[in-house]
Amino acid sequence: MADKRTMTLNLTDQEMRLLDDLSARKDVSKTALLRQALRLYQMVETRLSRGEKLFFEDEEKKKAELMVV
Amino acid sequence: MKTPIEIIDNKTGQPVEAELFDEVTVEHFIETQQEWRPMVLKAARQLAARGSHELIPQHFHWDWTVKAPELNVLANTFYGIRYENKLQGLMKIQIVGEFCRCRLPEQADRSLVYVDYVEVAPWNLKVLMVALGEKPLYSPIGSRLIEAAVLKSKEEDCKGRIGLHSLPITEQFYRHACRMTAVGRDSAKQNLLWLEYTPEQAENFLTGVSP
Repeated sequence: MADKRTMTLNLTDQEMRLLDDLSARKDVSKTALLRQALRLYQMVETRLSRGEKLFFEDEEKKKAELMVV
Repeated sequence: MKTPIEIIDNKTGQPVEAELFDEVTVEHFIETQQEWRPMVLKAARQLAARGSHELIPQHFHWDWTVKAPELNVLANTFYGIRYENKLQGLMKIQIVGEFCRCRLPEQADRSLVYVDYVEVAPWNLKVLMVALGEKPLYSPIGSRLIEAAVLKSKEEDCKGRIGLHSLPITEQFYRHACRMTAVGRDSAKQNLLWLEYTPEQAENFLTGVSP
């Protein structure tokens, strides 16, 4: 297991409620959820920087491009 | 990370100490192309000539080197098993991504670790070696890699939950040797069978896995 460092994170009430809700839904700790989010962000950024695009597809196979800033 | 693990040398039936590692590099991918692929292709040709098309490994065309850009993406972890200075197995897992959601109704939408690719060296691939009239050299390489995925799932707080799409030739392994639950065919992924572990099943697998 890689060494870990500790940091303090300041969140608004709304952000904290979202974090609570998502970590409960995903059945992982808040720390694990934030680590997942960071990894997902890196994956998306890496692929976008390669010129790839990010799409969501609905049940009728309609695609919507997700703009990431 | 480098961890000693036990595998069985099937020539002697004795356990030997191999190494499980996660510092996989592009050199390991090249090794699979140089050491594994020629043997897999040769065996595939032999099986085709014999008419045993159903036994031809469906991953015979895999090329790990195309995954080199994914090595530095933290969403992925790669594991290898090395023994006698040869790569005995290789696996890619995803911590986040489109397939990292549980599908079993009792744990739907929870996070899981997705086992994206698993390959064991052709000389350890039971279906292939048996079809060629030989015994695999070392075992159980596939189970050791699945064990690593379950342990990573626990480390990432997914509690042992893992999921994967199985090629038809490995369905029996995941169903019966690993005792994963077959959830159903995935039309979005070449109709491959989706299998999943609950935390309890993962724990039973860890308890029961033995070389």
